[in-house]
Amino acid sequence: MIRIFDLATKDLLQIVRDKRSLVFLIAMPIVFTLFMGFAYRGDGAEEPIDARIALGWVNEDGDGALSTQLYDLLSNSDSVKLVVLSADSVEESLRKGDVAGVLVVPAGYSQAMTASPLRLTLVADLNSTNGQSLFQLLRAPLTQLASSVEIARLGAETVGKAGDVTELDAAFAAAAQAWTEVDSAALIHVEMAVAEEAGSWYGDNPYNQASPGILVMFAILGLVSSAQILVSERKLRTLQRMITTSLRPWQIVGGHLLAMFAIVFFQIVLLVIFGQLLLGVDYARQPLAILMISIAFGLWIASMGLLIGTIAKDDTQVVLASLMAMFLFSAMGGTWFPIETTSGAFAAISKAMPSAWAMNGYQNILIRGLGVGSAWQPIAILLAFALGFFALAVWRFRRMELV
Amino acid sequence: MKIIAVATKDLIRFTRSLFLIGMVLVVPLLLTGLIYFAFGSMAGGGTSMIAIKVGVVNHDALPAESPLDAPLGTSIHDMFFDESVKSWIAAGDYADEPAARAALNAQEIGVAVIIPKTFSEDYLAGKTGTVITILQDPTLTIGPTVVRDMVTALLDGVAGGGIANKVIGERLAANGQNFEAALIPAVFEQYAAWYADFQRALFHTPEKAALVVISPAGSGEAAKPMQGMMGLVFAGQLIFFSFFTGAYAMNSILQESEEGTLARMFTTPTNRTAILSGKFLAVFFIVMIQGVVLIAAGRILFGIHWGQPVSVMLSLAGQMTASVGLAVLLVSFIKTSKQAGFVFGGALTMLGMLSGLFSTNINMPAAFAALGNFTPQGWVLKAWKLTLASQPAGEILLPFIVLVAMGLVMFIIGANMFRKRFA
Repeated sequence: MIRIFDLATKDLLQIVRDKRSLVFLIAMPIVFTLFMGFAYRGDGAEEPIDARIALGWVNEDGDGALSTQLYDLLSNSDSVKLVVLSADSVEESLRKGDVAGVLVVPAGYSQAMTASPLRLTLVADLNSTNGQSLFQLLRAPLTQLASSVEIARLGAETVGKAGDVTELDAAFAAAAQAWTEVDSAALIHVEMAVAEEAGSWYGDNPYNQASPGILVMFAILGLVSSAQILVSERKLRTLQRMITTSLRPWQIVGGHLLAMFAIVFFQIVLLVIFGQLLLGVDYARQPLAILMISIAFGLWIASMGLLIGTIAKDDTQVVLASLMAMFLFSAMGGTWFPIETTSGAFAAISKAMPSAWAMNGYQNILIRGLGVGSAWQPIAILLAFALGFFALAVWRFRRMELV
Repeated sequence: MKIIAVATKDLIRFTRSLFLIGMVLVVPLLLTGLIYFAFGSMAGGGTSMIAIKVGVVNHDALPAESPLDAPLGTSIHDMFFDESVKSWIAAGDYADEPAARAALNAQEIGVAVIIPKTFSEDYLAGKTGTVITILQDPTLTIGPTVVRDMVTALLDGVAGGGIANKVIGERLAANGQNFEAALIPAVFEQYAAWYADFQRALFHTPEKAALVVISPAGSGEAAKPMQGMMGLVFAGQLIFFSFFTGAYAMNSILQESEEGTLARMFTTPTNRTAILSGKFLAVFFIVMIQGVVLIAAGRILFGIHWGQPVSVMLSLAGQMTASVGLAVLLVSFIKTSKQAGFVFGGALTMLGMLSGLFSTNINMPAAFAALGNFTPQGWVLKAWKLTLASQPAGEILLPFIVLVAMGLVMFIIGANMFRKRFA
């Protein structure tokens, strides 16, 4: 056992002496965590700012009843800010980013009460999140407007004055007024299903999502340093010389695995402490669960590092394999984007990813507010993957000896 | 000719590097492929997104005398079990709130809808204190929003029916007519049918919808957000790996210097300027080849519409100039090839981050977005965004000119440092 520790210590000293490793292990994940949290939180301004989305308004209907009503509805909205534009300034305003979209009311729109169905055009860049939001935000006011028109038509027909403009106007006005007293959203209460109340959950602290996500991603990348040592030993024939000593092969494997695990675990601990102390991520609410998840996750990463070290022939192959592993497991593990937004096939495959289970374990504690019990399943799955990768690595290592 | 010979030698060496081929082509395609796999099926209009798991607890009961045939809670409940939503909502019944919460904690469902016993009664009486509770998994965003919007839309429909009744009653009275009670169900039914058609058209039938969305540069064609997103993601990858490739390829100067072959080349009749120019030319070509291959791959594999050909050429040319210029500058500061990993990995990633390459589809704060004006990657991204939006070449000119200027300045500074080092 002492020899395993000796070998692991040797590996760790080699890694620590290389300053570049420290940049990748420590500095980059911290910078990325701050970046991702900042990106999802915004500029963090304490003072209230106008968060409404700017919507351009081009009205070719003059002072028609429908366009006037729609203008009033949108002017009173908490979500959109109307910016009156002329028809020829639409492209320019969108290009400059003055507005996220432009609603164009065509000429004759208000005649829809007696004629053809209502139809509006929204010119928007649906590549932007604001552009996508505009469509959803316009649904309610448009529905109210169209509903008032339909009620006016129904009313006019019922009183036997179908098509009568005066009757239609009166009914429309009454319906529009009645809609101002409706607030369906007030009949719905949305609540986060958290096991216990805490100061800030996901909605308040975006680092609850960013911190574990970056931790998982960079832990995978962190095995580059340790896997490179195994490759260097093989190239320099140091490994072959070690085999001629009284060191048993399992001790060599164990020593390298221990070093890899120590590096990854050290990085995880550092990022957890950073998240806890500086980002307000409450890892400490269930320290045992976080510790066990981190150990299981570290073992899986170390096993994978060992496998890469036994397969790669030189440093560049280690970097390439590690990068591809990082990208694959990060993307499919839900560290880049929520799995709920992906296709069914992608989501199904992600369930088989150990990184997804690591994220699940951390999210259960940090975001869902669950206890130690919620960590058992992710831990068991991560340990199973660790065992699988380790078995593969040992098999590869035995084949390596014979070369 | 000597310059071409040196460039050719370097190009051949590059193609023998598995790492370079991996980073130049495989990794960007892999990354974009993963994104495409995650979202690409939706680009074609398909709705293969993972189904939202909804649990419904319905305790709603009608009061003794009610104009409604069934409680509102039943309508809400049935909405989640309707055939038309089966492909994207997987609904299940739960006996009570504790059972629904347990299912949420066990992640069997993502959203629970709890409808209280007196909801219909209080709603019809005009009381506002009784609410429908939507419990959600805090890690989810889309599913709970969809469920909330569905419930809101249904309640709006009910409210509209009530308004229809009220207004028709008022108009009948204003016209000296009586409002027969028998009219009420007919009015509700007519209005409900219209409302359902209206909502269906709004979301599923653009040709009948009350609101149609078109892209700014489109000539009336409907916007395709997912394709746009794929284009931006791929552009981000293209830019990041273009700069990485340039820097890594330029690193060959340091490697040759360490191996001693560069010194030997300097002893030949070929002057140093020609040798260094050959190396720069090789990097330029490799970045160009990478750009062309990835653009073609993006079109063929992921259906990305890059935009007008001249705009594409300008954006690519600007990107190549800037990436080679930055590569020359970065490597001129490096003493040994061992330092390259830190510089390439750290500096380029930081620059990429600040330029918004990793947040092309996120609404970044304005202050952050302005940082991209100070980085070459930021300007390349501007150029590609305009190109992907099918803007004409004239709109790309400014970013192109800025990129060429930045590239030339960086190149001149870096080349001078190399000249001094190898003088």
